[in-house]
Amino acid sequence: MSAASTLPPPGQTTPRRTLRSWLAIDERAAVVAFAQTTVGRALIFTIGLLAVSRYFDAWATLLAVSAALAAAYLPKYRNPVLFAATWLATLIETATSGNDFAEHIGLVIAQEGLAELSAVGLAIGSLLLVLAGIHHLLRYVRQHPKSLIARRPVITLLALEALLCGLSLLDIMQGLPRVLVWSLLVVVTPFIWFLPYAIIDQRAAAGQPLLLQMAALRPFWSPTYLPFGKGAAFLQKFLAKTTDDLAVTQLKGIKLLVWSNLLLALKAGLGWLLVGRLGTPTVAETVDTFLQGQPYPLLTSWTALAWSTAYFALQIAIWAHLFIGLARLAGYRLPRGSWRPLESRTLMDYFNRFHYYFKELLVDFFFIPTFFKTFRQHPRLRMFFATFMAAAVGNALWHFVRDIGLIARVGMAAALQTYISYLFYCVVLATGVGLSQIRAGQGIRPPDTLTGRLYSFIFVWSFVVCLHLFSDGSRQHSLGERLSFLASLFGVI
Amino acid sequence: MQLEEKQKLRDFLADALVKHGDRNPLADGDLLFTSGRLDSFSTMNLVMFLEESFGIDFSDFEFDVGVIDSVDLIATFVDARR
Repeated sequence: MSAASTLPPPGQTTPRRTLRSWLAIDERAAVVAFAQTTVGRALIFTIGLLAVSRYFDAWATLLAVSAALAAAYLPKYRNPVLFAATWLATLIETATSGNDFAEHIGLVIAQEGLAELSAVGLAIGSLLLVLAGIHHLLRYVRQHPKSLIARRPVITLLALEALLCGLSLLDIMQGLPRVLVWSLLVVVTPFIWFLPYAIIDQRAAAGQPLLLQMAALRPFWSPTYLPFGKGAAFLQKFLAKTTDDLAVTQLKGIKLLVWSNLLLALKAGLGWLLVGRLGTPTVAETVDTFLQGQPYPLLTSWTALAWSTAYFALQIAIWAHLFIGLARLAGYRLPRGSWRPLESRTLMDYFNRFHYYFKELLVDFFFIPTFFKTFRQHPRLRMFFATFMAAAVGNALWHFVRDIGLIARVGMAAALQTYISYLFYCVVLATGVGLSQIRAGQGIRPPDTLTGRLYSFIFVWSFVVCLHLFSDGSRQHSLGERLSFLASLFGVI
Repeated sequence: MQLEEKQKLRDFLADALVKHGDRNPLADGDLLFTSGRLDSFSTMNLVMFLEESFGIDFSDFEFDVGVIDSVDLIATFVDARR
């Protein structure tokens, strides 16, 4: 089909183009000008509150949206506002009963029979210690840019994590010492992947101010384990420079927040239809019934797996849009965290689109260091091995560290044993992405036709759905059980 | 960097942009990576291209994507390193 034959007749536009044009409010001068007025800003604030309130508690919503807009409208006080909002949000969250820190610490307190200790109190104490420690660490790196932690931040921090974890498992560390070490470990863990960005920036000659570095550690817009927006240096590159640019950035942020809510509604709707009305089981249930010799019909099992994959993909997109939308309200025109993954043409493309900031973290801390050091004379092997180090080794490490709390619950041996399935997932994903990367390097790409796109969609998403069976996070079934179940889906068993 | 070398670089980058679905024109001062037009993996393809085409050795250099963020910056970097 020629390019000319795909064009609509003169004077006529396709519905898709009309919809896109209608949604492009950030490209209309009148809307951009309105967004800079008092009424426009009040409207942005209101829509922001409504959109974020679906995800955060009332206090956190008010704090996040207010801080984002204050940072945007008061550039002189941007860094102090961001710092105060980030650490105030973390402190309030930590002081609230039922948070992750308190839950993990409470478990070890119960195991050690020290009921008189307060999990929340220990969490707050550990957090203040971590805050002070990070401050000193970043100052140290600034003064000693050639030190080990400045040159090898990821390895050094992971070694620290392993040391704390190992200490907490020692037989001699019973009672209060174990509780204290464990408290420090669970509180420092969420910062482990933020710190390397801050350290790398601190060792640079033109590093960002320390206050901004500290503000970008689990910033209030994304209180997770993954650095959405990387670190201060990356944020600074995307900071809106003019009032027009700021208005456009905020309009893009509002659009992303609304889109996040629409995807949330879609997820709820699909859940209502597939689970509520059609009774689709979970993947774990389908594997259980298969192992009991009474498997669900093939269509039901495939539907369960496809729905679980779609649920996960929607969840990633929903949270990514929320976090980046909020960052954009603060004036940072960050790239989206998930960008049309259904349009992925190759596995490499999928890896890039599906979870952008996770991919960036793996590239920054695993791919690039490997790439510059190994197999320099063998370009294909070099690319494949670096990709493998990122998508397999980095991926596996990141998820194991994220779930570090499981060690207190089930012990190290069981935590590793139940992780084998996810390791398998990482190895297969990395192999697929690595081969895809090599093919792309050779210029091999699916044709840009309707058939080619359909082929890409089927290939990429069949691979993703099948592989999802090994990464569902339930940790309930062994690798062998999952492989058997997958074989049964293809009628092999 | 000589004129034909710079053209070869432009062609390589234009091809990389097309592979990313970006068919917009590329000026010599346009930012490639920090603007989001190309991603981290493209950085490595560019590094390999510079190693092969201009004999640049990145092993003794603390890599910063900022030094190869545009055609002009790459040209300056290549001239300084070889």
